[in-house]
Amino acid sequence: MGSLDRMLEIRDLCFSYPTEEKRALNHVNLTVKEGEFIVLCGKSGCGKSTLLSHMKTPLTPHGKRKGEILFKGKPLHEMSNREQSQQIGFVLQNPDNQIVTDKVWHELAFGLESLGLPNEEIRIRVAEMASYFGIQGWFYKNVNELSGGQKQLLNLASIMAMHPDMLILDEPTSQLDPIAASDFLETVKKINRDMGTTIILTEHRLEDVFPAADKVIVMDKGEILAEGDPAYIGKTLKEQNHQMFLAMPVPMQIYSKVKSDEDCPITVRDGRQWLDHLCQEKGIEPVHKAAVMQKKKEKRVLLECQDVWFRYEKETPDVVKGLNMKLYEGEFYCLLGGNGTGKTTTLSLISRLRKPYRGKILLNGKDIRRYSDKELFRGYLGVLPQNPTTLFVKKTVELELYEMIGGIKEKKNDEFEIDMTKKEVVEGIVKLTHLEGLLHRHPYDLSGGEKQRLALAKILLLRPKVLLMDEPTKGLDSYFKEEFAQILRQLLAQGVTIFMISHDIEFCASFGDRCGLFFDGSIVATGIPVDFFTGNNFYTTAANRMARKYLPEAVTGKDVVEWLQKM
Amino acid sequence: MKDTFSTYHPLLNLLYFIGTIGVTVFVTHPVLLGISFVTAIIYSGVLRGFVKTLKFNLIFALPTMIIVALINPMFNHYGVTTLGYLSNGNPFTLESCVYGLVMAMMLACTLIWFACYTEVMTSDKFIYLFGKVIPSLSLVLSMCLRFVPMFVRQLNVISDGQKCVGRSASNGSVIKRAKHGITIFSILITWALENAIETADSMKCRGYGEKGRTAFSLYYFDRRDLACLLFMIATYGMTIWGAVQGYAYSSYNPIIIVEGLPLTLGSFLVFASYALFCLMPTMMELYDREMWKMRRKNIEKSAAGGFRLWEV
Repeated sequence: MGSLDRMLEIRDLCFSYPTEEKRALNHVNLTVKEGEFIVLCGKSGCGKSTLLSHMKTPLTPHGKRKGEILFKGKPLHEMSNREQSQQIGFVLQNPDNQIVTDKVWHELAFGLESLGLPNEEIRIRVAEMASYFGIQGWFYKNVNELSGGQKQLLNLASIMAMHPDMLILDEPTSQLDPIAASDFLETVKKINRDMGTTIILTEHRLEDVFPAADKVIVMDKGEILAEGDPAYIGKTLKEQNHQMFLAMPVPMQIYSKVKSDEDCPITVRDGRQWLDHLCQEKGIEPVHKAAVMQKKKEKRVLLECQDVWFRYEKETPDVVKGLNMKLYEGEFYCLLGGNGTGKTTTLSLISRLRKPYRGKILLNGKDIRRYSDKELFRGYLGVLPQNPTTLFVKKTVELELYEMIGGIKEKKNDEFEIDMTKKEVVEGIVKLTHLEGLLHRHPYDLSGGEKQRLALAKILLLRPKVLLMDEPTKGLDSYFKEEFAQILRQLLAQGVTIFMISHDIEFCASFGDRCGLFFDGSIVATGIPVDFFTGNNFYTTAANRMARKYLPEAVTGKDVVEWLQKM
Repeated sequence: MKDTFSTYHPLLNLLYFIGTIGVTVFVTHPVLLGISFVTAIIYSGVLRGFVKTLKFNLIFALPTMIIVALINPMFNHYGVTTLGYLSNGNPFTLESCVYGLVMAMMLACTLIWFACYTEVMTSDKFIYLFGKVIPSLSLVLSMCLRFVPMFVRQLNVISDGQKCVGRSASNGSVIKRAKHGITIFSILITWALENAIETADSMKCRGYGEKGRTAFSLYYFDRRDLACLLFMIATYGMTIWGAVQGYAYSSYNPIIIVEGLPLTLGSFLVFASYALFCLMPTMMELYDREMWKMRRKNIEKSAAGGFRLWEV
């Protein structure tokens, strides 16, 4: 094999951040061939992002480094920034922060302007990119008018305009809704297919990228754990019985827990076939859907929406249309639904940030408008915003927590009126939200999941009875989701009622008590997860889609595994 | 809706407004000012609708005119024709009265021209023209236009988040409100600085900072623009030439001298060429509208034979 088709070679790379003893990357060896589609996965903090940032010199962090990185046979750090920006494209996580200029067309041209290309050349390339990515429709728009998915697509297009040979994407879809995310990933796959651009990608939504991946690299604690095609990875991890499986697509998760000699299924389609084989082999008959007995428990209604209508301005169309909803005490309610259907607006109505023009919202039988701010927000409603950083004010996590209850000094004030010392309260919350060991970190230095937990801790210090959350699992990997769910379970056990808006079907199916589908301004269906998800064909979990032929009430991977193990 | 002149090259847009406003500000000849006033109102009507223009004039231009026209004779007492005496003994003269009117007219014209200017010269045209002169400044402007709306939106998100923990900047005691306001602002600043790091990375990744940056634009100078430019040079050149020759000379101190009235060949040429210059965008627009009307008529005529079932 000549060195020509080797796009990137990493030889024995070790790296540690300046103040840390532990190596973030430990003896990493990696060869990327031209035109390959590589998926890099692993737990948050396993060194994926650090590894990616080493593939482009301007982004490389400071610290102790050993080893070699070769790009097309040449040491990467000897390449000029100009060469690197032309040949290596890098798409970052947050769609908003990467956009520099105010117009879509100007953003497309930004990189080309930097390289000093003449106007005519830029014109051609911009036209090319706009046509390829389907941007013509919004070519003249201001960037603030775009949706998150369009923004990320624009970022991709403006990098592709520079015709890079290698494209690196660091969790590009973590801030997007599922539909925009799979559109985006489809485009990435198309680039790889049509253009032969080498792609290196980290991603949580593995079920979308695994089928296209030539090679999957699993990292753990700064080292490469396994490397190979997706099916091979499935087999290897199964043999090692590694906890990395939690992050894998559902069919692979199920496969990992069941004895089978066949190849590892990757997509739902593979999974169905695999299940067919397995069931024929063992002679397993399909289970008929058992009538689920609705446990009728008389519960108290805590929050109720009665025919709520809302629109932002007089001339604009209604966003919430005749919404009726009941939230029972102590339950975990998940509201699912597409983008732009009015879910977030509903949350802002319930949290009294906006007022309906018709209809009532009753909290504990009393109209929500009749509560004072202090009554409502200190002791009743806790609202966890979509972006946790909008709550962070202080320098460390500890100060951040004390800030919520009126400072570190042990004295009562109108923000702290209970008979406990503040220290006890904060310690309790820290334990509950697993923030031990992070108390002296800067809030902005935490990882996504830790930030989310800190924001939750701050809200919990207000001792809410109802917790309202807007997509709390956005951008979290499966470990953080699991941890987050544990915290929520503890809260439920303490009698807190939880209302959550989400796109995350799997999460809601696994942990919610009731789910509702929001469409066109109101809730069209409500039910306990088993009923809710087994009734839907498309809007349902991967496990259900895979196993519904044999086990109609399967909702989570766990259900399928338990059933198969019983057989 | 964009008018026809807006679709011409930004340089022409800019030159046009420099031209009209230039004459309006530096020449005090009543006829030229009158032309400027009338054409400005017509163009503003074409651009923004006549109702809106009328409202604008009544609210902004008219009061300005009245104030200026009244103030000038109160404080200036030059001129030979005394009409009477003010209570403090100063003379009230015809010349200062007339000059006050001229000034008022001038201000009103400038206001209306600037209203048209903001319709035609959008931010990206402005940025483009500046980018030709100082590329880095144009990028800074473009970034401002990107980030200011983003910050405003984020500020709303943050203040919503803070409201939900019972810290709103809109009720409570003044001190509390100020405190909460500062908290919100501080969160915004932290957020902005933190995110700026990623923006900087994204800029670096796309080669920002390399030598020889160019400024891309969607505009190019075509034959139509050239024709328009020649027309502008011809009419405006004529106006300037005439003014330099003294065909449109005017003076109000100490006596009123207004050259060119009654019309001479020279003064007629000056007035006519300036009127043509000012009316150019209006003429373009009206021509365009008429053309589309004709085309539609032709289409309707040719289609009338067949398939319009609803026309019994």
